[in-house]
Amino acid sequence: MNLRIRGTLDRFFTAATGLSVVLLMLVLVAILGPMLYRGSNAVFFQGTVEFRKMQRDLFRRSDEATLNAEIAETEVFHRRISEMIDEFRKGVDIEAMSSQVRDIHRTFGQELRAKAVADDRYTELRNLTRDIRDSLEAAFAKQDIREIRPLLDGVLLHAENPAFQGTAAEKFFEIARSFLATAETVDLNHQQEYAAALRELQGILFHTQDLPGLLGPRPDEPQPLLVMLRYGATRWDQAQQLLDRFFWVEEWVEEKPGEPLVMRKEPRADLFPETLGPLFAYVQENADKMLKPKFTAYWQFFLDDNFNSHYFGGVGPEILGTLFITLVGMLFVIPFGIVSAAYLVECATDGQVIRIIRMCINTLAGVPSIVFGLFGLAFFVLFLFPLLGFEPKPCILAASMTLAVLTLPVMIRASEEAIRAVPRHYKEGALALGASRFHTFVTITLPAALPGILTGVILSLSRIAGETAPILFTGAVSMGDVPRSVFDPTRTLSYGSYDMAVGDRLAMMVPHNQYGMVVTLVALILILNTVAIVLRTRVYRKLRGQ
Amino acid sequence: MSNAQISLTLEPAADTRRPMALTPGEDFRGYLASHLGRAVLFLMTFTSVLAVLLILLFVILRSFSFLSGYSLVEFLASRDWRPTAESPVFGSLAIIVGSLYVSFAALLFAVPLGVLAAVFLSDILSWKARNVVKPVVEILAAIPSVAYGFFAVLVLAPWMQKHLGLSTGTNALNASLILAIMALPTIISVAEDSISAIGRELREASYSCGATRMETMIKVIIPAAHSGIIAAVVLGMMRAIGETMVVWMASGNATQIPHPWWDVSQSIRTMTATIAGEMGEAPEDSEHRGALFAIGVLLLILTFSLNIVSEYFLSRAKKATGKT
Repeated sequence: MNLRIRGTLDRFFTAATGLSVVLLMLVLVAILGPMLYRGSNAVFFQGTVEFRKMQRDLFRRSDEATLNAEIAETEVFHRRISEMIDEFRKGVDIEAMSSQVRDIHRTFGQELRAKAVADDRYTELRNLTRDIRDSLEAAFAKQDIREIRPLLDGVLLHAENPAFQGTAAEKFFEIARSFLATAETVDLNHQQEYAAALRELQGILFHTQDLPGLLGPRPDEPQPLLVMLRYGATRWDQAQQLLDRFFWVEEWVEEKPGEPLVMRKEPRADLFPETLGPLFAYVQENADKMLKPKFTAYWQFFLDDNFNSHYFGGVGPEILGTLFITLVGMLFVIPFGIVSAAYLVECATDGQVIRIIRMCINTLAGVPSIVFGLFGLAFFVLFLFPLLGFEPKPCILAASMTLAVLTLPVMIRASEEAIRAVPRHYKEGALALGASRFHTFVTITLPAALPGILTGVILSLSRIAGETAPILFTGAVSMGDVPRSVFDPTRTLSYGSYDMAVGDRLAMMVPHNQYGMVVTLVALILILNTVAIVLRTRVYRKLRGQ
Repeated sequence: MSNAQISLTLEPAADTRRPMALTPGEDFRGYLASHLGRAVLFLMTFTSVLAVLLILLFVILRSFSFLSGYSLVEFLASRDWRPTAESPVFGSLAIIVGSLYVSFAALLFAVPLGVLAAVFLSDILSWKARNVVKPVVEILAAIPSVAYGFFAVLVLAPWMQKHLGLSTGTNALNASLILAIMALPTIISVAEDSISAIGRELREASYSCGATRMETMIKVIIPAAHSGIIAAVVLGMMRAIGETMVVWMASGNATQIPHPWWDVSQSIRTMTATIAGEMGEAPEDSEHRGALFAIGVLLLILTFSLNIVSEYFLSRAKKATGKT
């Protein structure tokens, strides 16, 4: 082959190998970069006044004076918006208006009873208000102003009737007048559509049955039972999404027949008559004054419990549960791991037995993590616990022991490597001075190997903290109280991350909390691993005498 | 003055009043302590063996009633997995094929990349630069599987749906890509060890014959290190088959064998995901639970045999390089 071609091929080969490593680094960046960025949004973001209100109510932390002032300022806007909507609704929402006039009729009757009016007078007035009610309802049902006007005029004839002065019946005439005004300006043919569009608009501004909106509950509304409906958009990014939905309607239209549908955005204001135009202008102008976004560092994210399956709050119990499981697991792994490593290095004489032990350690390292879960369930939970008189249910102890078995090979290998790395002359020196083998190991070899063993400890820690599959059936739950003892199941970061990633619509609405959870886990593990890597490099440099 | 100081420092070194020999009692106690100590150490070391035995015993025990009552042929050869139907059917063929399918697809991505990266790390990169790249590999290995699954579901799946025009983002391709990333660290580190274990002699001999680096690598070093590289591939395969969270979250969990077989955009289901997904719903002591444990037994058999294969190749690699 030509020398030139061989040289080119060689360079291609070198480039390919280099590229593979570059690709590896890119993959790492592509996975971690966006994750860390979006996760940091859980802690650092533009919090609105609703966020501060929520923090005060749910977690009892706030600057009372400033917050009250802020709430007072923003409430003005809430009221004004609510009024504008009410005014418009009076004209279009037939059902609401009909039920309102029926209410008035009933209240008026009760007022008359309370005043103890004579029977015949009572019947007369009741008949009159029933007529008024019926003609109002008839007017609401009509769509042509020429039919509506005579009906309303007939009602308004009674406006000056002294019997109605100062009673509930006065409201009849208010409604009649405002409906007349609406009927003159608004095209009532679209009444139904307006009512539907208005309901959607209110859902975005306040809240729907099960989803929070921009501003929280209406000023005149009792506090909703569901915690997340009590507050509007707590974050400015959420608020902007809602504002976008408020101003624009997304429509999927078929532009060319047979082609996939295309999304188009139409201004929502076009769905309503001009009378509601000022509302859109008002919201546009005052959006940031209504919500008062302010940069927030919500470090309590790592302490707080959550509300409404992670809609509000943080990952405190998850962190606590992870630490709990990890620490209990380490109690089992560390002694067994170090002793096994010491035995394999120091006392191993019998070839056959040691070979079997080593093979088993390798086998253990290769067992799939889900099988450890099966084993934990079958052995610890269903066999060992009843044997010892404990309740056979998944709990921290079972999860920790299962994870301990899983990480045993990691711990043994790391400790073995650390003990082997101690130079021979350390040990020989001690033995020559007459120390026993046990004494030598405890006072000379172990201290010298300790930093290396510590690396192993940290690596097994990070392995235990990150595993999910083994604890699925042995101790992890997605909801529940903070554990009080090792016999309670617990929430963990790993299982929580799974739960939120495949979670329902609610979890998808709070991506910052989804990413916040997984990033907390990843950060914890990366920190542990970085410490282990740094520690290991320093130890080996020292033992080599550099 | 100085004399007194010297004697003071010397005194605790040895008790000269005692005879050098031990009394019989002390001798016996020392003997006992040393052997008892060894026994205790041995027992603690033996936990690993015990753990493997207990895992085997209990997983088999729990699946025993199912395996003895259900036709083994139907369990292994039927594609129907309907555990909650009126008359439940437990045919795990599609599930076993699914596991192997994603694992082999993952190896398809991971092996070339891993071997190239191993060559780069062992033969091309300077020792100092290696200390920068190796932690990257280690961190890839350290990221918990649930975080990879999270990435697969919330980032990769929507991306695939949008840019590749697939009907679902959680499919065999998604799962295998992520599994490839997860198997890479194992493959790279084992392959690199075996490639660098091939001594300088072979390399120098090849270069002195006028071979380029590529020729040396492809025709001399990689063939010489083939045992270790095969072991690396087998270990990577083990990692992929045993992985649970990623396949559960990213593979779509549809019990089917892709048709046509090369269509990676279809959803599939693996053994690990089946156990993880259905164990919570299977009532205790039911046939369903037994079937899931039986899948666990299959997984154990699979990984044990892969483990034996990898041990065989690793020991051959050790023999070939002359290190014991």
